[in-house]
Amino acid sequence: MAERVFITGVGMITAIGDDVAGNLQSLRAQQSGLDYTRLLTTIYKDVLPVAEVKHTTAELSQMAGVSGQEGYTRTTLLGLIAMQEAIRHAGITALQDEQTGFINASTVGGMCDTENVYFDIADPEKDGDFVRFIDTLDCADCTQRIADAVGINGYITTISTACSSSANALMYGARLIKAGLARRVICGGTEALTRFTLNGFNSLKNIDKRPCMPFDKDRNGLNLGEGAAYLVLESESLVRERNAPVLAVFNGYANTNEAFHPTAPSPDGDGAYAAMKGAMEMGGCLPADIQYVNVHGTATLSNDVAEGMALQRLFGEQTPKFSSTKPFTGHALAAAGGIEAIYAVLAIQHQLIFPNLHFKEQMEELYITPETSLLEAYPVRHVLSNSFGFGGNNASLLLSKYEG
Amino acid sequence: MKGNCYIQGMAAISPQHTFDGDLLTQPMIVTQGNRLSCVEPDYRAFIAPNSLRRMTRVLKMGLAASLKCLQDGGIHVPGAIVTGTGKGSLQDTERFIKEIRDFEERALNPTPFIQSTYNAVNGLIALQQKCTQYNNTFVHRGFSFEHALLDSLLLLSEGTPNVLAGAFDEITPEHFFIKGRIGHWKRETISNDQLYAHVSPGTISGEGAAFFLLTNTPGEQTYAQIGGLQLLYKPTPAHLGTALSQFLAQRNMQPEDIDLILTGANADSNHLHYYQLLDSYPQRTQLPFKHLCGDYETAGAFALWLAATILKEQQIPKAWFPMVTHQPERLKNVLIYNHFFGEQHVFMLLHSKD
Repeated sequence: MAERVFITGVGMITAIGDDVAGNLQSLRAQQSGLDYTRLLTTIYKDVLPVAEVKHTTAELSQMAGVSGQEGYTRTTLLGLIAMQEAIRHAGITALQDEQTGFINASTVGGMCDTENVYFDIADPEKDGDFVRFIDTLDCADCTQRIADAVGINGYITTISTACSSSANALMYGARLIKAGLARRVICGGTEALTRFTLNGFNSLKNIDKRPCMPFDKDRNGLNLGEGAAYLVLESESLVRERNAPVLAVFNGYANTNEAFHPTAPSPDGDGAYAAMKGAMEMGGCLPADIQYVNVHGTATLSNDVAEGMALQRLFGEQTPKFSSTKPFTGHALAAAGGIEAIYAVLAIQHQLIFPNLHFKEQMEELYITPETSLLEAYPVRHVLSNSFGFGGNNASLLLSKYEG
Repeated sequence: MKGNCYIQGMAAISPQHTFDGDLLTQPMIVTQGNRLSCVEPDYRAFIAPNSLRRMTRVLKMGLAASLKCLQDGGIHVPGAIVTGTGKGSLQDTERFIKEIRDFEERALNPTPFIQSTYNAVNGLIALQQKCTQYNNTFVHRGFSFEHALLDSLLLLSEGTPNVLAGAFDEITPEHFFIKGRIGHWKRETISNDQLYAHVSPGTISGEGAAFFLLTNTPGEQTYAQIGGLQLLYKPTPAHLGTALSQFLAQRNMQPEDIDLILTGANADSNHLHYYQLLDSYPQRTQLPFKHLCGDYETAGAFALWLAATILKEQQIPKAWFPMVTHQPERLKNVLIYNHFFGEQHVFMLLHSKD
């Protein structure tokens, strides 16, 4: 039988905190990270709220300890900061002691920086030091720079399946471990705000001008966010060998496709239903075993109906507590799955349910409503974390309390 | 990882005539200039006209190659769809960046944004074939296709009966210029049939789409068996040498068991030295392939297609390899060694069906 996969370290940076402790503090204080951008050049600067990490790119490079070094985009720096925390948190002093893989996720790579110099890059008449950004055009650049900075020496790759990218990165890392191809893989994603994605989602009329209201009747779209989050996955045998504390068990996962529409879910939430069901089954859980679902909950009209229908189909009247944490962090696209997986770990570790901010009125299509209060001392053993993306890509992760 | 992997169906769109017809009688397409472009098929045989109108080039190439591959393998709905792409749809990305500027962020058409998403082709294949199973896309330069392949091997060993795995990349004139600024291409203009005579900094660019239907049991029309895959990130030349010996030894292979080595050697003097790794292997068995497809992130998928074609046909296409004076006595085991600008290195081992 394949080995169990444990989570032994987490690291993150989002609009509500520079590290995991900062995120937990803001979650408990019910402090949203949504505001108007201070850093992005866009006509929507004072129109569309975003969840921006409250540091300039120069400040981030200082935080990451690479101040003055060239070639680090905002995407890379966010990732590097989260990666350094994850490694530290897992109590790993020398990464080289064990072959360590890195499965990263990114939607647009270094677009945050390249979009500002792209027309110079593409113009034969122009020359300058913007040329150094050419390498950052793709999604692999951030992964390799993060890997090289910390000394990753195992499997290395990048996944891009839109909004479910880092959930798929976690899944792939766990499967490499179960297949015996690695004993330690660090997985997650990084995302910086860009004009490209802001205009992309805005052109789809998917962005709310107000702070997003997941699962509310009056919701009208998402708000974008940025950040990075990585989880250290280790095989049970490696954890025993190095006597590492276990934060949670990565108990199940599933990736399914809707095969319905390039950017919209099926109204009955077929893909979401199949993904959650698959993850539960793999972990040997029945619906009644789940205490909390950290939903994808983007607050777009179609997502929340589809995901809500899927929850009702799967859990019926006994739907567990569920909430979207996107009113805190915005939708950080490729980082979202990683961020929310860490929130699932925190829910298990601290026996917490996070509130779904900005919810007022029940949706007409659903009989369920999200949890709106912070619940402390809530018995959380099994958490589902959902991430759904363009191309009908649905991922659901099952994280469970470690009980020996 | 347990279990076997067989190529049960495949299809490739490339700068050569690889999509249909008798491959062994196709002439080599010679392109003057350092940018090779795909010979595109008539997409109407695969894609409905109203869909075709909206789709950009690499989406059409990817979708058509995947559908032809499924047809070839005789399976309508695969057990999973996994792809790799270094650059996704460049045309759409370029177009959306420009429209944001030209229309000053107002009243934008969302289509290029949607199509620029790296997993757009995967979504289209799933949609067209109503495949609701596992779906994933890797976007990591010279590991994009290879991780899609590794993911497929994992899926097969986990019990998925068959997997559609593939890769696609395009090159646009604008992107060709951009990558030229960081030395990817030769300064002198050459033609692809003369590539290996021009050892100098840079290489020639290419593009392509190739898909494979992989199964865990062999069938009537199996092309080849995939016997091994190893990925090495920024290895030292010494490490690379040890890794290749171990890779073969673990599979009970001696250097003399290898009947053919397809190499990614691309006449780029900056990174050519890695191929010295093969100096101790018989020279007569080594053939470079990038004069046919040019260099790009997922050229490894073209190499796999080529190796499987050679194993199935039991001969090396003469017109494509004029340097081959006589066919090998035996074509049982083929090794592929490729790297992408010195960073991502890949060994792949293939066996003939019997």
